[in-house]
Amino acid sequence: MKKKIDKIVENYPAAVFKNRKEHIIVKDNNTEEPQKIKANTRTVPGIITNRGCCYAGCKGVVLGPLRDAVVLTHGPIGCGYYTWGTRRNKGRTEGDEKNFLNYCFSTDLQESDIVFGGEKKLKKAIKEAVEIFEPKTIFICSTCPVGLIGDDIHSIASEAEKEYGIKVVSFSCEGYKGVSQSGGHHIANNGLIKHIIGTGEKVVGKFAINILGEYNIGGDGWEIERILRKIGYEIVSLIPGNGTVEDLKSAHKADLNIIQCHRSINYIGEMMGTKYGQDWIKVNFIGVKSTIKSLRNIAKYFDDSDLIARTEAVIEEELKEITYKLEEYKKMCEGKTAALFVGGSRAHHYQHILKDLGIKTILAGYEFAHRDDYEGREALPDIKEDGDSKNIENLEVTKDPENYKLFLTKEQYEKLKDEISLNYYSGMIKEMDNGSIVVDDLNHYETEELLKILKPDIFCSGIKDKYIAHKAGIFSKQLHSYDYSGPYAGFKGSVIFARDIAMGITTPAWDMITPPWKTQPMLEGSYIGGN
Amino acid sequence: MKNKNFVNLNINPCKMCMPMGAVMALKGIENSMIILHGSQGCSTYIRRHMAGHYNEPIDVGSSSLSEEGTVYGGEANLKKGLINMIKLYSPSIIGVATTCLAETIGEDIKRITEEFKKDNMIVSKKAVEIVPISTPGYGGTQFEGFYGALTSIVKSLSDDKTKNESINIITGCLNPGDIRNIKSILDQFKVKYTILPDVSDTLDSPYKKEYKKIPQGGTKIEDIRKMAGAKATIEMGMTVTGNISPGEYLSDKYKVPLHRCPYPIGIRNTDVFLETISKITGKRTPKKLLEDRGRLLDGMIDSHKFNGEGRAVIFGDPEISYGVGRLCLENGIKPLLIATGSSNKSITELLKKEKHTPLVIDDTDFDTIRKHAVELKANLLIGNSDGKFITEREGIPLVRIGFPIHDRVGAQRSNIVGYNGSLMLLDNMTNTLLENKYNKYRKEMYGKYFSETVKKEETITAKEKTLSHPCFSGGACKVARMHIPVAPSCNIKCNYCNRKYDCMNESRPGVTSEVLSPKEALDKYLTLKEKMPNLKVLGIAGPGDALANFENTIKSLELIKEVDPEVIFCLSTNGLMLPYYADRIIEAGISHITVTINAVDPEIGKKIYSEVNFGGKKLVGKKAAEFLIGNQLSGLSYMASKGIVCKVNIVMIKGINERHIEEVVKEVKSRGVFISNIMPLIPAKGSSFENMPQTNNRELGEMRKKCEKYLKQMYHCKQCRADAVGILGKDVSSQFSKSACSSLKSNKEYTFAIATESGMIIDKHFGHVDEFYIYSSKKGEIKFIEKRSIEKYCTGVSDCDDEDSKIDRLIKTINDCDAVLALRVGYSPQKKMLEKGIKVIQTCGSIKDGVNYAIEVLEKKETCKTVI
Repeated sequence: MKKKIDKIVENYPAAVFKNRKEHIIVKDNNTEEPQKIKANTRTVPGIITNRGCCYAGCKGVVLGPLRDAVVLTHGPIGCGYYTWGTRRNKGRTEGDEKNFLNYCFSTDLQESDIVFGGEKKLKKAIKEAVEIFEPKTIFICSTCPVGLIGDDIHSIASEAEKEYGIKVVSFSCEGYKGVSQSGGHHIANNGLIKHIIGTGEKVVGKFAINILGEYNIGGDGWEIERILRKIGYEIVSLIPGNGTVEDLKSAHKADLNIIQCHRSINYIGEMMGTKYGQDWIKVNFIGVKSTIKSLRNIAKYFDDSDLIARTEAVIEEELKEITYKLEEYKKMCEGKTAALFVGGSRAHHYQHILKDLGIKTILAGYEFAHRDDYEGREALPDIKEDGDSKNIENLEVTKDPENYKLFLTKEQYEKLKDEISLNYYSGMIKEMDNGSIVVDDLNHYETEELLKILKPDIFCSGIKDKYIAHKAGIFSKQLHSYDYSGPYAGFKGSVIFARDIAMGITTPAWDMITPPWKTQPMLEGSYIGGN
Repeated sequence: MKNKNFVNLNINPCKMCMPMGAVMALKGIENSMIILHGSQGCSTYIRRHMAGHYNEPIDVGSSSLSEEGTVYGGEANLKKGLINMIKLYSPSIIGVATTCLAETIGEDIKRITEEFKKDNMIVSKKAVEIVPISTPGYGGTQFEGFYGALTSIVKSLSDDKTKNESINIITGCLNPGDIRNIKSILDQFKVKYTILPDVSDTLDSPYKKEYKKIPQGGTKIEDIRKMAGAKATIEMGMTVTGNISPGEYLSDKYKVPLHRCPYPIGIRNTDVFLETISKITGKRTPKKLLEDRGRLLDGMIDSHKFNGEGRAVIFGDPEISYGVGRLCLENGIKPLLIATGSSNKSITELLKKEKHTPLVIDDTDFDTIRKHAVELKANLLIGNSDGKFITEREGIPLVRIGFPIHDRVGAQRSNIVGYNGSLMLLDNMTNTLLENKYNKYRKEMYGKYFSETVKKEETITAKEKTLSHPCFSGGACKVARMHIPVAPSCNIKCNYCNRKYDCMNESRPGVTSEVLSPKEALDKYLTLKEKMPNLKVLGIAGPGDALANFENTIKSLELIKEVDPEVIFCLSTNGLMLPYYADRIIEAGISHITVTINAVDPEIGKKIYSEVNFGGKKLVGKKAAEFLIGNQLSGLSYMASKGIVCKVNIVMIKGINERHIEEVVKEVKSRGVFISNIMPLIPAKGSSFENMPQTNNRELGEMRKKCEKYLKQMYHCKQCRADAVGILGKDVSSQFSKSACSSLKSNKEYTFAIATESGMIIDKHFGHVDEFYIYSSKKGEIKFIEKRSIEKYCTGVSDCDDEDSKIDRLIKTINDCDAVLALRVGYSPQKKMLEKGIKVIQTCGSIKDGVNYAIEVLEKKETCKTVI
């Protein structure tokens, strides 16, 4: 396998070859040292990466799904337009709450604004947004040119906050910052910790938790919420899918943070630990087994016999409803292989649900993850800061004496620390099979070549490379937007995912085409003869 | 007409950025790649959007500039990117398009690309064309980016001046399906042509056994070179001019004759395209195309009956909107609005030749389009899939055309050009109208013809004029009106009137809190129009009499008409001066007039009018009434004969004119009046009638019913203030007055009971409330406390104001409150509450404003005039 991969990267110019080969590893269970992978470094220019920009991570990913905030893009029209309703993060409002998810707000900067500055326009746009929509929160996100022309969005935000008596928070998330959207996640996390979390006074009850890093794509969050509420948890806030800034303000009141997407939100989890004393647990609600494990871990944290009993009762009840359906689909899926290239956590999460269905993951990679997402948080001390990561502020928080509380006693903490992996994420690589491939920042070229040699039955990625798979005769499943399906999380979601996969790989169209490798030699060679 | 609801805020954009257009153009060149010079998000977003539409892999490179690149320049990154693309993809041509970032840091891509080209030749000995394209994201939309990129390509490549027989066809941002059809038309003509760009295969490639990294097809580079020597250029783009027009460049530089034509959408636009080909080549239109034309005509005739009901709102890039607009026009579908996100003023000019000219707005957003679509009562949206947000919210169906279409499949292979494609689009539009019609037909018909509640309108002309006037039509309640108080003095004295106009709370004709000069009236109008785009009707209703202050009135109307010719003017008067100013009123463009006539018999009139001032003379008694009534009626006859919609207001005064009202109605009907409005007397403190009994709703209703035999009656009167602003029943004038009251930072704590339906605006009659919202205020902070349920004390008109015990019960539930805020409070509960020490405040507008005002009243211990 290693040789085949070398063959792919050998086609690169020398410098690129040197760079890329460190981003690709073949899992080897027999190494003495844990395997290392290069990640979160600059993208190779011209290579057609799937990565987005800092603005995408901040505005599109973390802030966008909060439904009660007007997210105002300060910049020319494109960036705002391209993030308008494209991520399928669902939101449902109750009563007379406001919901801005269907809107796109932009200052639509013109050439003259770039020359003379866009501050005036931004101020007026805020005023207009306040007058017509009366939001309680406005987030301002800047795009590339704003940082360059030097608009002071932060002082405009604080002026507006005073003038209108609402929350106005600005985010300097210019597209060129960092190396991918990951920088934007960090900037958004910082802003929420600095200006939002800790400003609310909601009174919370027993078993209070925050769900962090769940984006409610296709309704995932709703399914997770449903299960947790059924068991008896109080969900203080959801960050960010279907979440509100209003709830987020009181997030510090919760007893525990549960983290679904480690990459995009671990900063908040860590900082809340330092500031308010909350622990976090990495959970995974994708797949039946991992959902059950996550639920049991959360229950263990609270160490309440009723809660634990209730957890088991709910698991049993839910399983009763889905098991026979899953068995049916499993028969159709068993023995197939999958390649995953998605996000900064999903490529790991979905390996669990695929395993439930008897599908083997032969390749997995992230777009914008860091080494800890691959190797586990033990890699953190080994990660050196570089020029790009230094450009993203590493916010230092301190203990908030008024709100700091520890839920566990020292003894309890020590007991549970390893049992339920408190404040720890083990990463993706450890769980992967020997010989499977891990690729960081997979690009268009490598995708095409790897599909050719690996011939997976299923390729899970996003819309940009969905059609490469289709052209290669491989079933593709978008794990960013779920191809307008979902939810895939929790118990009920597992059935929908299983159905979609079973349906996808058995569609009659596949029987009517013959992929080239069935008639081609394995390595190299051209196809001779008619089509 | 304003482009956008907001000047600085674009809400739901109807455009994309320039680099998007450049990518779309480059994708139609054979063996091409494109790299965007800037942050990698730009290419990722564009790939995502194009892949979603075309359902094809879309490769767009990026120079992936990081913070370092922005500081030290991105040249190195760009060159590295180019090398990588050449090595991995072996393209023949790479477009280098800039982004906001590259343009803002001032990258000189022309120099960089030229340098690179030279170096690359030395290294790889392989010629790769590198075309620099300037596309700053803030410089325009994808539309300008598209044509601009084509121009850059032609400028870079077209240099072979050798004369050839080929025709250059510059297509617009059309789909692969459209381009295939255009090529088929040209093939049928058997002419030689170069189509630029040719996306027919590259963006809609067939499934093949072997996957190619760069899709096959596209305009060949050698063909582009020869464009300089072509026989002629046909450029599809009526609004494309100057430095973004490749056709103009070829014509200026190489004298290739340029023929412009619109996108061939619709019969006339296709005719233009075919005629142009014939003109250039001397070839006649092939038979098969003529048959297609016949089939299109046949289809147009077959479906015209359904299309006649179409009211379309069209949006997209300027060319597609113009093309589809013309298709609608030739099929009897009324295009109400043609909207585009580009700044493009030529569409209006082009459409001037049409019989019906729709509203055209450019540089707009979807928030604005939605508002217009609703106001104009559109039943069909035509444009890209972003229109779905309007469909979701307003229920207007959308026919999807253009780019992008993200929520349906097949957009890339759709064909809406040529005779055959136009027919497919037309059928789609007709079927959408039909689907809507079939879904609602039974219900609508039943409502129209069998439901007893719906009465036929009197005359068609009056109906048309009146539909959008809230005071004349119950159905026009969503249209906002504004009364401007510019007429302070009055020329008669009515016994029911006391015009001390300093109270904000009396929603009663003749009462206003401020008097404006004509200039101030204009300013107020402009401010309001911005906040309430549905403000359509402008009236003068006092506080005195509009015609007693004629110069002020007319001046105000003229000033406002100058800035907004579409506004409907109306005027309320006692009619004394009507015969004298009639012609000038009509000249000023006033279409609606209201005359208050309480009697047509001077014997009764003298009890109502105590004096009439005319020409410096004061008349009293029967003479005064005689004179006034004479002028009122002759004035009305004249106005009605000139087609002005006339309304008569009658104040029902118990014991004075209640038995006479039928007579009044009959008389004014004979004078050509369209509607009458019988209103109850509001006994105003300080007026001669202050102690007169009030008419209750039941009596009023019976009287209106009685008079309905003769004349249409107005049932929805809310007895507006002279400075009323907003939608009937929702007066928001206190928010907009010259001196909006400031909230007082009072130290005392107060509790208020508020009659509200919405929970936001004070919008309920005291007697109709079944729960009160209880608010408290302390130190200027207003807080919602609870909702308090009560038994509705007024369950119908017949028992209102009668049952004391109910009122008592009700007052008990709000005993702890300092004041009650309601839209209107009956006479009897007012008295009772006053006895209990609860202030009664009749107001409208937001709860916050109402409460602030109430605090002011309570603090100042002012005897508010409504507290009787």
